[in-house]
Amino acid sequence: MNREGAETYLRLMAEAELRGPMAPVRRQPWAGPGGSIARLAAVAQALTAVRAIDHETVEDILADFDLAVSVRQRADRPAPNPLGAAGPRPGRLLFPPPGMLARRSMAAVLSSREPASAPQPGPGSGGPDRLVPVGLTVPYRDESLSGEMFLMAFAHTAAGARFTMVWQTHSRYDPDQGPVHPGVLPFGRFTVTDNRGGRYQLHLARSRGPEWAGDVSLRPEPPDDIRWLDISAPDGPVVRIELDPGGAEPPGGTEAAGDGAELPVTETKLSPGEHLLVMLAERLLTVAPEFPHDLRMQLAAISPGPLHTMATGMGDVIAALEAADVLSPLSPVPGRLAAVCAGMRVSGHGITAPPAQDLPEPWLSLLAHYQRRKPDTVTVRDGYAAVAAALPELDGIRLALLSLLNTDGGSWLQVLARGLEPETPRGPFGIDGHFPLSVWIRDSGGRWHACRPAGSHRHNGEDVLKLQLVPPLTRSTAWIEVLAAGPSAQVRVQLPLRWGYLH
Amino acid sequence: MTITPNDPWYSCLPSCQTQVPCGQGRHTVRWEAGQLRLPEHPDAEAELVLAALGGEKAGCVVLAEAWGRHTSDLSVLAVGPRGPADEIVVSWQDVEEAAQAGQRGGAAAFSSSLRRPRLAVPPAAAAGHSARQRQIQQEMERAAERRNDMLSLLALGHGFAVRLAGQVAAAHADSADATARPALVAAITGRLALVAEQWLGIDPDQVLVSLHHGPGWGRAELTGKERGRRLRVSLPASWLARVWACGLALTGRHLVVAVDRAGWPDARVLALRAPGAEPVLLDVHARQSDGPDGTAGAPHWEV
Repeated sequence: MNREGAETYLRLMAEAELRGPMAPVRRQPWAGPGGSIARLAAVAQALTAVRAIDHETVEDILADFDLAVSVRQRADRPAPNPLGAAGPRPGRLLFPPPGMLARRSMAAVLSSREPASAPQPGPGSGGPDRLVPVGLTVPYRDESLSGEMFLMAFAHTAAGARFTMVWQTHSRYDPDQGPVHPGVLPFGRFTVTDNRGGRYQLHLARSRGPEWAGDVSLRPEPPDDIRWLDISAPDGPVVRIELDPGGAEPPGGTEAAGDGAELPVTETKLSPGEHLLVMLAERLLTVAPEFPHDLRMQLAAISPGPLHTMATGMGDVIAALEAADVLSPLSPVPGRLAAVCAGMRVSGHGITAPPAQDLPEPWLSLLAHYQRRKPDTVTVRDGYAAVAAALPELDGIRLALLSLLNTDGGSWLQVLARGLEPETPRGPFGIDGHFPLSVWIRDSGGRWHACRPAGSHRHNGEDVLKLQLVPPLTRSTAWIEVLAAGPSAQVRVQLPLRWGYLH
Repeated sequence: MTITPNDPWYSCLPSCQTQVPCGQGRHTVRWEAGQLRLPEHPDAEAELVLAALGGEKAGCVVLAEAWGRHTSDLSVLAVGPRGPADEIVVSWQDVEEAAQAGQRGGAAAFSSSLRRPRLAVPPAAAAGHSARQRQIQQEMERAAERRNDMLSLLALGHGFAVRLAGQVAAAHADSADATARPALVAAITGRLALVAEQWLGIDPDQVLVSLHHGPGWGRAELTGKERGRRLRVSLPASWLARVWACGLALTGRHLVVAVDRAGWPDARVLALRAPGAEPVLLDVHARQSDGPDGTAGAPHWEV
């Protein structure tokens, strides 16, 4: 890695961009600071993401650029004052109070310094993780509320024991008060016991994503080797959850995977720059959910399209990664990114490499999805499936797949992750630097779905993440193939599914 | 040809002066022979002692302190002027307003914008959070002081800004510190690109600069055609101080690459008529002209 090359590139880029504010002197047109700042920020974020430059240096460069632009931008430009700079004030400077760029960069620096809570080596006593698919419904009813809690998977790791679940509640009509709206699930009224007589309480820790989904932790933490748990709901039956791997396969589940060591890992050998560009391409391919549905329907027909501004500076990012020696000039990835831009009708990206033909199969699948005339017309049926499986470590990150959920017109994969850096600053173009893996799902119909981070919460060094599938599943697929990849390795695992449905 | 200067980098620069607010009036501040001088504060050090004991620090003295803090600060090169036509006008009223904005709590407002809502923070985490807040506050204050310093120094006018840039470049010219190289390459590129635009009519974005080390002045060559055209120039870091800061960069349609015999108002320089050509010695003569902001001190050299 060429850190000096990276810093030099960023500084030279700032120099070039500064010639914009000098435009009146040079009699050149200048569109204003917006484009300059966007490109400079994108390059700075990219070089930071691949660790070619540190946050402090970026902060200094951006703060200097910010000030340099400020002292060259005046609302009016009167003729030079013969009394000199010490004379009467000739014009007002446009000072952004402390510089916007410096502010953004400072926030990134400080957030990145938050101490990480180190992950513990295993569940409670130091044993291996325990992942068990559950796939059971726990009905409940009391005087004001009724519904079902669907337990999808049980995970017991260093961070504790928890169920991944969804729930639904039913409204009740009171003849005197009218409709009584359901509230939050009464977790305090559930009782949980294990095969040894131990008693536990359920605590909800919901993350962003589908409204009625999350995970509930068991407190106190149970021993590693309990065989089953009985959950008793208010005015409902006792539901037994078998945790013994030798037990019968649960309804709605897959077989449990252990630590993932048996799954084949293949080398990918992507350079840090290539991996960043792959993440960038996938970000572009999965940006559709951020647009309103009607607009999304028109994406394929709009030119240059609403994604235009998102791509500003991609060519600069590629050049910067090459200057930092984290991207070979011979790499095929820039051409693939150019092909994605072309497929998504994104212009103004500045990528000089011609669009490549050899796109990865998942990318082609998603591009074909967008290029259909009516890509999102099939309604997803609400349902859930347990997919408890541990993946082998990929570039220092361990993932455990917990559940798959179709709800609210979307599909979500819930995963447990260890080894993620906390509070990582956002990467260029909105890339989630916190989750630096590429995850794809292929359904039984052969279509690929990208998994984009859409919320997480952290507990004891572990992150529970909701990954949103783009596009959502259009049917209850019989199996999925999960492809997870980091810069140096990837793993594929095929998992059969049995769906439970929300009524 | 080997150029080994023994004279100071500023030997081709005349003195310059301006008026700055100090107390209720205005005082003269002068740059002369590489030093900032305060003619109306002959015992500035004694004034600093008095200020340390609680007295008010004179505006001239505050300014001299700011100058002293930045004589090797590479940010001066990143912010300051790229050439005589690069118009930077910062008034003393701007400086005063920026300082007051900082005192009104700009830093605190910034710091509070970083706070994120949290439902419950354990005591240990709260302590860490508080430490981070203090760190943010301290960094904000340092940033505000740095910014106010820079604005004050720019308010002195073009002549002073160019001389300060020369002093910074000279401070790093012979340094083996590799960490300064990216800033020096960018600083030379930003300035040489504008000079080359005037010299050859080339697009400034087509100028590529590298740092020259070792004997000789460096090299300059033109490669490619049309959009692929590049002016590749390798110059020592000292070029910024000895040539550019002294206003010699483009003299008599030549690119000056080194100073052979320094002096004011007469000097002998090594210059290129065209990229790739052998450099020639030119005897040059200067007259002092006004800078773009009206302040004196921008030399104009002729063959």
